[in-house]
Amino acid sequence: MAKDIEISASESKFILEALRQNYRLDGRSFDQFRDVEITFGKEFGDVSVKMGNTKVHCRISCQIAQPYEDRPFEGLFVISTEISPMAGSQFENGNITGEDEVLCSRIIEKSVRRSGALDVEGLCIVAGSKCWAVRADVHFLDCDGGFIDASCIAVMAGLMHFKKPDITVHGEQIIVHPVNEREPVPLGILHIPICVTFSFFNPQDTEENIKGETNSEISIIDATLKEELLRDGVLTVTLNKNREVVQVSKAGGLPMDALTLMKCCHEAYSIIEKITDQILQLLKEDSEKRNKYAAMLTSENAREI
Amino acid sequence: MSRLEIYSPEGLRLDGRRWNELRRFESSINTHPHAADGSSYMEQGNNKIITLVKGPKEPRLKSQMDTSKALLNVSVNITKFSKFERSKSSHKNERRVLEIQTSLVRMFEKNVMLNIYPRTVIDIEIHVLEQDGGIMGSLINGITLALIDAGISMFDYISGISVGLYDTTPLLDTNSLEENAMSTVTLGVVGKSEKLSLLLVEDKIPLDRLENVLAIGIAGAHRVRDLMDEELRKHAQKRVSNASVR
Repeated sequence: MAKDIEISASESKFILEALRQNYRLDGRSFDQFRDVEITFGKEFGDVSVKMGNTKVHCRISCQIAQPYEDRPFEGLFVISTEISPMAGSQFENGNITGEDEVLCSRIIEKSVRRSGALDVEGLCIVAGSKCWAVRADVHFLDCDGGFIDASCIAVMAGLMHFKKPDITVHGEQIIVHPVNEREPVPLGILHIPICVTFSFFNPQDTEENIKGETNSEISIIDATLKEELLRDGVLTVTLNKNREVVQVSKAGGLPMDALTLMKCCHEAYSIIEKITDQILQLLKEDSEKRNKYAAMLTSENAREI
Repeated sequence: MSRLEIYSPEGLRLDGRRWNELRRFESSINTHPHAADGSSYMEQGNNKIITLVKGPKEPRLKSQMDTSKALLNVSVNITKFSKFERSKSSHKNERRVLEIQTSLVRMFEKNVMLNIYPRTVIDIEIHVLEQDGGIMGSLINGITLALIDAGISMFDYISGISVGLYDTTPLLDTNSLEENAMSTVTLGVVGKSEKLSLLLVEDKIPLDRLENVLAIGIAGAHRVRDLMDEELRKHAQKRVSNASVR
């Protein structure tokens, strides 16, 4: 990802030779995703995601705004993924035209916004004049590879955790009820896209890769920063639990056999299945913690299933 | 307006093609011999693209120089008049265009033998005169032709194509009407192999149908490669016969 970090010749040789012998620096196997640690903050829509040494924080916020003229029935949804030097010295402040920044923000945009993960029609308040504008701010706190995967998980977990204040509409007039007066309402989430990134390495020379029949390229899941610096090609697959491919991006890099790429997609499915379940489980625990007395106050009685 | 019938029960598409048929593919190279070192003009359906390759040449700034290999630059100019309705913006510095440029650079970096042109820069300029769906594939084909015309060493052709998926039927080489109505996959295939240099899926597609779509795409890309090869050989023959007359 980074250009300015130079990796020494001996270290790069060591990492590549280790990969040839089926070893990775952090002891993971090639198809092992790092453990994802998701923590919810005190406020709704405040999420931190940690994958190894990569740390990403996402905050969802909303305000009332005017919808676009050509889409009067839809609310607004913006994802901001600006990488600041906080993540690492290789990133420049305010540089949104850098190659990696553009690819990262475009993939998140396609995965979450264009795929319609958030129900924007549910954000409409008064058609043509008032709607909710939801904003997801992603902050990259520490970089050890896998920014796209981590930020996608953070944005989706944030959107599912977030609750907007309840409103009542009287013609053109609307009343926004503060959170302590009325229970806030969650956003409409239509599906949960999760990204998985594969990195490719070419153990032999270029000619073997293009002309050869051996297909001996190495593919690893969820590369760390050092592996990202050395990789020859990258593939980011976004899937949801409905077995739908939401987005695939292999923008150049090492040419790979089509069947290998298909295999990667299938491998990714088992990973996103696990992460989706993890997010849903954590959300459930979080809501139970918030409503400690719900179980006591409910009139539900034990029933036999 | 009645709803468009993307794929009729008789198996015909909007423009009368069948599911596995390409659009009209015409290309010519060396169209701008004075303006650039290599150039191509190609029409894929209603996509009309001019590609100019300038280089290998000395970089303007010494800081851009790499002592071990050539530097590859791609700039894509999508003209304001390229669509039916004139667009207000010039599309420059749009994220979508920046993404296209980066992907093209990353594709051809691996395919061009940059290491045999150290301390130089190769500029690729693309002008999209008219666009009608599957633009990324056409850009790839245009660059391949222009690079060959410039005589820059490459490992193989890269041919680009887009495939749509309409319900369960894959449709080869989509035009813009089809592209707006369904999800499409764009492929960049290396030569006659099954290796993909580029794979872009931008809308939802069922995981279990993807393999089928890729297979059709690869077959289509091989056909595009043959068409480009044919044109190049014809052009070369013409040049040889002209040279022998003189």
